[in-house]
Amino acid sequence: MRVELDRIGKRFGNVRALCDVSLELPAGSRTALIGPNGSGKSTLVRLLTGMLGGDGGLRFDGRPVPTERGELARRVAYMPQIAPRLAAPVADVVRAVGGLRGLPFDAIAAVAAELGVDLVALRRRPFRALSGGQRQKILAALVLSSGADLLLLDEPTASMDPKSRAVFFTLVERLPATSTILLCSHRLDEIRRLVDRVVVLEEGRLVWSGQAAGYLDEHAVAVVEVHAEGEQAYAWLGERGFLRGPTGWWSRTLPVRERAGLLRDLSRTLNGAVRDVTARDVERLEPGDAPRGEPR
Amino acid sequence: MSTLRAEVAVVARLDLAEVLRSRWLVFCLVVHTALAAMFVLVGLRESGVVGFTGMGRALMSWSHALLFLLPLLALTATGQVVNSARDDGTLELLLSNPVSRAAWFLGTSLVRVGALVVPLLVAMPLMAIVGSLTFGQAVPWGFLLRGMAVSSAQLVCFVAIGLALSTMVRNQAKALMLSVLVWAGAVALIDFGLIGVMLQWNLPAKAVFALACLNPVQGARLALLSAAEPELSTFGPVGFFVANHVGAAGLLAIGIGWPLLLGLCAWTTALARFRRRDLL
Repeated sequence: MRVELDRIGKRFGNVRALCDVSLELPAGSRTALIGPNGSGKSTLVRLLTGMLGGDGGLRFDGRPVPTERGELARRVAYMPQIAPRLAAPVADVVRAVGGLRGLPFDAIAAVAAELGVDLVALRRRPFRALSGGQRQKILAALVLSSGADLLLLDEPTASMDPKSRAVFFTLVERLPATSTILLCSHRLDEIRRLVDRVVVLEEGRLVWSGQAAGYLDEHAVAVVEVHAEGEQAYAWLGERGFLRGPTGWWSRTLPVRERAGLLRDLSRTLNGAVRDVTARDVERLEPGDAPRGEPR
Repeated sequence: MSTLRAEVAVVARLDLAEVLRSRWLVFCLVVHTALAAMFVLVGLRESGVVGFTGMGRALMSWSHALLFLLPLLALTATGQVVNSARDDGTLELLLSNPVSRAAWFLGTSLVRVGALVVPLLVAMPLMAIVGSLTFGQAVPWGFLLRGMAVSSAQLVCFVAIGLALSTMVRNQAKALMLSVLVWAGAVALIDFGLIGVMLQWNLPAKAVFALACLNPVQGARLALLSAAEPELSTFGPVGFFVANHVGAAGLLAIGIGWPLLLGLCAWTTALARFRRRDLL
């Protein structure tokens, strides 16, 4: 499904949540929507789901959404970050939501099983009695088996364990190539695995749009931690921006693209003084200064 | 149409689970049973001594208890429906699926009305039969049916008003406060309250009588009490005047028809607002 936003605006009283956001998501595109808190991400997604109204033009496959939402709703699936706390039993929730899209319980249960949730075993439990992770997996199963052409995913794996997250990524990769995905997330692994394009919002304005790889080069950061001994090593680490922690480890956060060079220098210069080294990617992006180099 | 019905059924099923889980239905059943038991124990027993037409005071007490409690039950059951559904994510989940706003509103309204009216329709006849078997008195079916119709109309009216409030106020605490204010206004402005208003603000008498007829609680009270002898002591001065002018059929129309009409207006307004406004 092709999504077109033409000068979308939204005000809440005196607060301008979105301002002239124009964007096109081609059919089959996979886009991450990122930005700091209050940048308008949730407002934009809620506008797409129809929970909010706004100014400007919104079209799905060229059809105006406000007037044709009834017909288009079946082609859109939304996975909220926080699962609702419904009192109804799990089976009722799954049957109800699945029934609206003509999905049999078994088909949803099969996807849920891949994510590690046994819907048959949980069918009588109140939905709200499940853990946050279980509820999120059930919502994921409902969305992934929906057959929708546009999937709106809001931090879809925030409450999932690493194994389930990996399965989720595989399931998304299995979706038809024509499925359009808009992902709200700051998680690096989600962005790396699920999208090829990044759109950045700041204060309700679209400030950057481009390839995911380019954005990650600029914004993905890693933490390098070093356990070393000797005054010479301490001086070298201090000069390069490392800070010493209470346990004696020195650490520094730096762009991922600079990590390899730093590790190379480290092993070349402090080879004998280093006792241990760890290097890990920071899991979440902290959107702030968006790169300005690429066209919007 | 069948799509709308399917959507309403889905919403209603999920909301019913919510109502059952919160034990609201049980609470309503207990309240209605207690009210019906009061009617049976006091009303029927008294009617055995002085005859059914002589039970005015017991009937008045029961009617007042019923009419003070029912609006409060209905308003507290519905005054926060939209807000709590928004806050707990239910609204977001359902409306991001192929469920229209009208279907959500209709499904929720039906469940809330059902949760309040069905226990009433079960408890009242049941207690009347139990009382009849226990005390050997004939059940006054005519009055009972009138009582159930008037009470159901009250519930429908205040469910609709509660839903309207929940679409107007975004904050749950404010919605609850407004519900209580509406209830207090409705139960305060009956008879002696209206006389007080008239004296305080020098309102013309006809305006007070019109206000009495517009207040669904007062209308229901008159419709219930008209089953007994229309005495000044039970009806009160305002009710007595209205009863003498509109007659028995008019009182029934004010007690049943007017609350239903008012409820329909409130519900339609609420639906229009719910369909139009931002939901988050």
